[in-house]
Amino acid sequence: MDKVKNQKIQKQVERWDLFARLTPTLFLATSLILVVFDVVPLEYAFYIGLTGFAITAVSWWWWAIFTIKYLISILSRASTNLTDVNNEIKIVKKELEDLKDER
Amino acid sequence: MKDKTYRLVKAATNIVSGLSMATLIVLGVSYIGFNNAFVFNNAGIAVTNNPVTGDQINFILEGSRRHECVLTKVHSDAYDDATGERFPLDFARKVYIRSDDYLGSDTGVVDHQWGVPKPDNMYPGVYRVTLYSEFDCVYLLFKKTKVQIFDNISLIIE
Repeated sequence: MDKVKNQKIQKQVERWDLFARLTPTLFLATSLILVVFDVVPLEYAFYIGLTGFAITAVSWWWWAIFTIKYLISILSRASTNLTDVNNEIKIVKKELEDLKDER
Repeated sequence: MKDKTYRLVKAATNIVSGLSMATLIVLGVSYIGFNNAFVFNNAGIAVTNNPVTGDQINFILEGSRRHECVLTKVHSDAYDDATGERFPLDFARKVYIRSDDYLGSDTGVVDHQWGVPKPDNMYPGVYRVTLYSEFDCVYLLFKKTKVQIFDNISLIIE
C-alpha cells in the first residue's frame, strides 16, 4: 500500500517538476506572440497569467501540505517500528545472554 | 537519452524556466506600476492672470510626467461659484504662451502655459474651472488610455 502511494507521490513530484520547467517559458512565449500580433490585449494576458499563478500557488500549497502530512506519518510509523525492532533485539540479546549464563 | 545529455537538457530548461519566470514577474510588476500611474505627478493647474480683465484666460500647468503620453481629448468648463452656471471654455481656440511638449510625449518636468478666450457671456464673479484630459500612454510594450482631471481651479473675472 505504502509502496503504491510512494510511487504515486514520486510521479506527482516529477509532474510538478515538468510543469515548473515548461509553463513559465510556454506562457511567456505564447502571450508575447499573441500580444504582439494583437490577438489578445495585454490586459487579458496579464489577468490570465495572474489567475494561473494564483491557481498554481494554491494547488501546490495544498499538495505540499498533504504530501508532508503523509511523509510525516510514514516517518512516524517507521520510527515506531524501528523502536519495536530495537526492543525486540534487546529482549533476544538478553535471552541469549541468559542462555549463555545457564550453560 | 544519455545521462549526460539528460542532465544538460534538465539544466538548460531550469535556466530558461527561471529566466522566463523572472521576466514574467518584472513585466507584471512594471504593468501594475504603469497601469496605476497618473499622467502627471505633483501637478497643478492655476490661472495666471487672475483676476481676468481682458478677453483671455491664461493657465499654467506644472508637474512631471513619468510615461510617454499623447493628449487625445481635452475639455474644460468654468462654473459660477454662486449660481453653478456652466461656461464651456473653447479649447479649439487655445493659444500657447509657453509649452515644453504638453501635447507631445516627452517625459520629465512639464511646464506649460496656454490661454483660452473668455466666453462672451461670462460676467464678473468667482468661478471654479474643471479640466478633463484624455491621454494615450505607452511604456515598453504597454499601452493605455488614461484620464486626468483637474478641478477647483480658481478663476476670477472682473
